[in-house]
Amino acid sequence: MSDATAGGDERGEKRTDGGESLSGISRRQQTASGWVEAHALTLVAVVTGVVLLVLFYYPIATVLVEAVVDDGELTFAPLAGVLTSRFYLVEIIGFTAYQAALSTVASVALGLPGAWVLSRFEFRGRETVRSLTILPFVLPSIMVAIGFVATFGANGTLNRLLSLFGLGPVNLLYTLPAIIVAHAFYNAPLVTRMTTAAWESVDARTVETARSLGASPARAFLDVVFPQLVPAILVSATLTFVFTFASFPIVLALGGLQYATIEVFVYYRVQQLAYADAAALAVVETAVSLGLTYAYLRYEAKQQTAAFGAGAQPAPRKRLLPESLRGLSARDVLSRVAVSGYGVVVLLVFVAPIVSMLLSSVTAPDGSLTTRYYEFLLQRQATAAAFQVKPLPAVLNSLLFGVGTLLLALPMGVVMAVLTTRRYRGRKVVDALSMAPLAVSGIVVGLGLLRGLVFGFEAFGYRFTVAGAIAIVAAHAVSAYPFVTRNVAPLLGNLDAKLVESARSLGASRTRALWDIELPLVAAGVVAGAAFAFAISIGEFDATVILATGSNSYTMPVAVERYLGRRLGPATAMGCILLFVTSLSFVVIERFGGRSRGV
Amino acid sequence: MRRRNFIKAAGAAGVSALVAGCSAEPVDDGGDSASNESTEGTETGTTTGTPSGSATLRVATYTSFVDAPSSSPGPWIKEQFESEFDATLEWQTPENEINYFIERAAQGVDIESDAYVGLDTNMLIRVDENVDGELFASVDSGAVEGRDAVKSGLEFDPQERAVPYDTGYISLVYNENQATAPETFDGLLRPEFEGDLLAQDPQSSATGQAFLLHTIKAKGEDGYLDYWSQLQDNGVRVLGKWEDAYAAYSNGEAPMVVSYSTDQVFANAEGEDLSEHQIRFLNGEAYANPEGMARFADAPSPDLANQFLSFMLRPEVQAEIAVRNVAFPAISDAPLPEDFAQYAKEPETPVTFTYEELQGNLSEWTDAWAQQFASN
Repeated sequence: MSDATAGGDERGEKRTDGGESLSGISRRQQTASGWVEAHALTLVAVVTGVVLLVLFYYPIATVLVEAVVDDGELTFAPLAGVLTSRFYLVEIIGFTAYQAALSTVASVALGLPGAWVLSRFEFRGRETVRSLTILPFVLPSIMVAIGFVATFGANGTLNRLLSLFGLGPVNLLYTLPAIIVAHAFYNAPLVTRMTTAAWESVDARTVETARSLGASPARAFLDVVFPQLVPAILVSATLTFVFTFASFPIVLALGGLQYATIEVFVYYRVQQLAYADAAALAVVETAVSLGLTYAYLRYEAKQQTAAFGAGAQPAPRKRLLPESLRGLSARDVLSRVAVSGYGVVVLLVFVAPIVSMLLSSVTAPDGSLTTRYYEFLLQRQATAAAFQVKPLPAVLNSLLFGVGTLLLALPMGVVMAVLTTRRYRGRKVVDALSMAPLAVSGIVVGLGLLRGLVFGFEAFGYRFTVAGAIAIVAAHAVSAYPFVTRNVAPLLGNLDAKLVESARSLGASRTRALWDIELPLVAAGVVAGAAFAFAISIGEFDATVILATGSNSYTMPVAVERYLGRRLGPATAMGCILLFVTSLSFVVIERFGGRSRGV
Repeated sequence: MRRRNFIKAAGAAGVSALVAGCSAEPVDDGGDSASNESTEGTETGTTTGTPSGSATLRVATYTSFVDAPSSSPGPWIKEQFESEFDATLEWQTPENEINYFIERAAQGVDIESDAYVGLDTNMLIRVDENVDGELFASVDSGAVEGRDAVKSGLEFDPQERAVPYDTGYISLVYNENQATAPETFDGLLRPEFEGDLLAQDPQSSATGQAFLLHTIKAKGEDGYLDYWSQLQDNGVRVLGKWEDAYAAYSNGEAPMVVSYSTDQVFANAEGEDLSEHQIRFLNGEAYANPEGMARFADAPSPDLANQFLSFMLRPEVQAEIAVRNVAFPAISDAPLPEDFAQYAKEPETPVTFTYEELQGNLSEWTDAWAQQFASN
């Protein structure tokens, strides 16, 4: 803003005397851009703060305050009500934590081998597979439910396979394991992606050194490689716990009400307009999630010891399919067998549900193949009224909001990572609070956005409201930037502080040092965070429908929900469009990101 | 002018990234005219009902009334209404449905809509328990032509704000190739039906709520929890939304599902095997869920809103709503297509709780039920 004003002044001067002011312009512009450069970090930090305040902290405060204020007076009755109820504490919160813990273990168990395969082996399509691991992240829960019923149901793919071998049938649906496997479907890819990134930045030379000092391969892995993976594993495990602790629709769809989580009861209370109870439950829920996040962050802070300066040189990948069988050691054979076993699990847990979704979008009620659901989409596109949801605008909006989210969430996330890797008192609290968008009940956020922004607030005789496309992008960025921060901060923390110091002593601004020195070194984290940010935006539903003004800002998940009816066809067809568009985007993003990483 | 100035100022304050999504409207304090010095033209521009051009009628409803993959009455109603009245009908579908307006009223934000379509008894109770003033206006039957034709059995608002426009019945849908549904609630407890019934969460779905209320009707306030405990022992599955349960039913997870008694209308239209879509009225009854419409007390265009309510009650419109919303009309002489009755089944005895019976009880009944069900 001040940049523009400065330019304007110069132009006014220029009319009077030509030559001299030209150099004046460039000098002044240099100073202006210098000022911007010097303060860029601060500016982005201020913007981040404003966005968080307007789109997160203020809205949720309008709801959470009901937990402690009744008719203008401070009260602890709602919180006490939750904390003294055996039902809430044991049956609901206890169970929610229990299933979240199991889901976390399952996600790590299912995700880690994926990281091993993707970072240690070379095979055709590896990059593409890696890009596609993000897919579960964007799928609406109803799509996952449909895919799971079609895969694990009484007449599902698994039972049909088992019956070929004279086994089964197994009844997996409507049990705790069904919920846990569905949670792993969503979150194991998170573990895989974050751990793969860490594995790829393990410097091969450190392993070689250990080996040359006589360590066995197993010893070298346990002592050298594994410790460098632990932060990534723990951060993805923490995020998994936080997400599954707040799980809601998928629990009811695949488990049933006897497996109700705390978020189910937050939803109930909000529906009944029993806001004090809803807020109290949400406060407890958030406290658990933030407490865990804080514990993790304290651990992460202690780990920042293995400083590396130059880019790590990862060990070369082994070919998954060796050119000849000769010279293969028993180890090599065993690892290939393990990869194949893992491949079968992946086929069942990840590929089969997605293929089932694809199939159900082309299967008529009588079991024959049909294109009628895609014809429905075309017809919708051609004839839908202005107040109805059309497929193509939904696709375009999703992409537009996704790109907008990237543009906003990347600077927000990186700056927050820079701020939280500086040393100052209480920074872990700031860090934990910056993770709050992941830890607060989505239902509370939705209600808060309605109250705080859509209805707005009155001041100076005006009612201020915030809604529409830009508000949606900002809300998506609020949910997305913690992923950028969590992917970038650990890498940033591991950088040798001397790098920045020497750049600064040579006259570089803090921004320039970040841009020229640090960011290229942590590019892998930035790209990983960008992928998550885009995915969060594509998959977001709650904030989008609250902030949408009219039907012209609806996205793909909203279209899926709208097309859901007695027959699953139309919704699954739209869901497959979502899958297709997202897959394509990710292959493109990561190809592009991967190339720029080499620079 | 003032608004533009404000935005400029806000932009300079450094939140320019958000401005395009922000708006600041002058607050109307009820003193309708000349409250501010200038600005005659700008403010009246947003008010409807002024003779300048055609009026706008804003009607809020639930999404599937105007946008469903099969058929929805919304587009047809809009077209017909606009062709007859010199007005634009604008459908609004707030995500939180009636709670959106309750919340709006509670926050002191003006209601800018004229009518709401899709009320039921429970929503009215929620409105009355949470809104201090009047959200909806009582409808003077003189002002709404055709009001008296509504079947008296469908009336559910003691204050006569909500005008019923259609009704649905919640029943069991079953696949007779796998099981023949029992005829009574007690029959559902028999071992042969273990794990055979899919129901929905009463808090997430209207069908789930109706089924729970039906069990309370059948077993009494003192007996329904015990009945559900036995039902749970017999493997009833309570999933989230109706879509979750119906998708599971369609995939053959269980042979019975709680759904609507109009199921065969869809099945027939889709060319499905009707033996997989049999209807059972337990104890010969079904829970009736009449849907009502009402005019907002502060409707900007009250006369037009009354005309709309009246329009919705015309026999030919009633028939179209019934067919497109796949529900039963609220009046007796709607000219329904001949095959309608063949596939849309009505129970001998519809049952339902009145406003007075539900008031103060519904939350308690549901909470007690949810606590018991989630604890087992």
